[in-house]
Amino acid sequence: MKKIISTVIIAALLVITAIYAATTGSIKMGFWEFISALFDPNNETMAAIRDLRFPRIIVAIFAGAALSIAGALLQAIMRNPLADAGVIGISSGAAFTKLFIVSVIPTLFFMTPIFAFIGGALACFLVFALAWKSGLNPLRLILIGIAINAMFTGLTEAFISFGGSLNASASSVLGSSLAFKTWDDVTIIAIYGSIGIVLAFVMYSWCNVLALSDKTAQSIGFNVTLARLAIAAVAVLLSAISVVVAGVIAFVGLLVPHIARRIVGHDHKVLLPFTALLGAFIILLADTIGRTVIAPLEVPASTIMAIIGGPFLIFLLRKG
Amino acid sequence: MELQKIVVSHDGKKQHLQGVSTAIQRGKITTIIGPNGCGKSTLLNVMARNHSPLQGKALLDNKDLVHYRPKEFAQKFAIVYQQNDIPQDLTVEKLVSYGRMPYHSLLKKNDADDDKAVDWALACTSLSEKRQHDLSALSGGERQRVWIAMALAQQTELLCLDEPTTYLDIYYQLELLELVKELNEKHGLTIVMVLHDINQAIRYSDHIILMSAGCIVAEGEPRNVITKQTVKEVYGVEAIFQEDATLGLYMVPIGI
Repeated sequence: MKKIISTVIIAALLVITAIYAATTGSIKMGFWEFISALFDPNNETMAAIRDLRFPRIIVAIFAGAALSIAGALLQAIMRNPLADAGVIGISSGAAFTKLFIVSVIPTLFFMTPIFAFIGGALACFLVFALAWKSGLNPLRLILIGIAINAMFTGLTEAFISFGGSLNASASSVLGSSLAFKTWDDVTIIAIYGSIGIVLAFVMYSWCNVLALSDKTAQSIGFNVTLARLAIAAVAVLLSAISVVVAGVIAFVGLLVPHIARRIVGHDHKVLLPFTALLGAFIILLADTIGRTVIAPLEVPASTIMAIIGGPFLIFLLRKG
Repeated sequence: MELQKIVVSHDGKKQHLQGVSTAIQRGKITTIIGPNGCGKSTLLNVMARNHSPLQGKALLDNKDLVHYRPKEFAQKFAIVYQQNDIPQDLTVEKLVSYGRMPYHSLLKKNDADDDKAVDWALACTSLSEKRQHDLSALSGGERQRVWIAMALAQQTELLCLDEPTTYLDIYYQLELLELVKELNEKHGLTIVMVLHDINQAIRYSDHIILMSAGCIVAEGEPRNVITKQTVKEVYGVEAIFQEDATLGLYMVPIGI
């Protein structure tokens, strides 16, 4: 019952935030005006909103859902509540390969999602391979993840420095701004994001079984390694696609599943959908706050997430 | 289950099992005992396919263990480990139903069989009334029974238990061993377990495998295996043996 109520509340909040985000900013609109304009193809204000704000809102929703689910999946396979694509370097790995491709072989631009996936997968593999020592020690895993993250972030920054003015677009590649999103961005994240989210939902029972000790899971005929690989691939896909379209947003994957677990419990059947919903809401909220609070200046959603997420990570670590 | 000259090494240098051969007898309770580090858990882990032997072969129903697919193997072999992570927000019934996984494939699932097996496993372990309880709400002894119930739901002929009594107090130890005996006598399960307590091993086993330093020192009926000499030799402990009218043979260690 609590689960249903929470889901309805978050869904309602998401819709309200989306409408508020669509009607607030340099172009303003009242609620009823907005609703009627929604079905009026000739409304010019609406056309502007449709082109400028809708993509941004949809990208924020998908990025939030994708990153949060990626976090929940990583936490399941690493058996570690602190795992997050941003914290352990998957996002920065994806960001680096994306930047590399965009600036070195720009003709392959349309393949950036694939290269970002490869970069994210490489980072994920490195973290796993280096942290594995007859099992995964939670602390070692996080420390190695932070090291991998630092390495890829450093590589990216070095790359930008070398490129100099040649890479005027580089900072926008790295930046996690949700501004200036187009319907093309929406297409990319909607297609890959939906595939990833559906795959994640399909794998919910694997995530649940991974909560058992590895040996016990194996004893019931469960292929632990295969499940880990498959789930990791989906998590990397989801984080890579968010990086490609929305840039690096850390801490979402950490914060959201944790709050979701508090509300709906640990069963991934409920947890994953709820995490997606909550993540979509939180990122959209962060972006909307960031864009309205000191308008016309913008605070990136990732900055707002970092301000909330940093202390939250410390809180989780202190709690053990 | 048959083991032929199994050699296992965890680090590539020291041999933790040095050419161990034995056969598990159907329908009997076999207990592996020996001092710490003698290789008894390693032996059990070879049977469970957690360690692959450097040399030698392990056969189940005359088929090499390496040729089994995971689910196929889990339909024939069930094991309960000493320590288990307790997943959160999981009911007894749900956990026990995980034991049905070997019979599921992407498309095939027989709910009637599953329900029957789960009901049976819960009844065997006297957990039927607690089926809706959360795992975290159970006592240590009950939790150990839940893991056994999960293994039972696999409906295997062979059930292995790795030090099932280690973290339990004496009441739950006896309760558990009585359960093991009942599973063997009533339901015909072949049991292989690792125990630390020599007297429990004598009392509850048909067959004892005594190990020391990666080798089997002696095996057979309890009273032929556990003697003054073997206890002195393997554990370095002086012990006296007494015969009790109802209990049978028991051992009292008296010094080192």
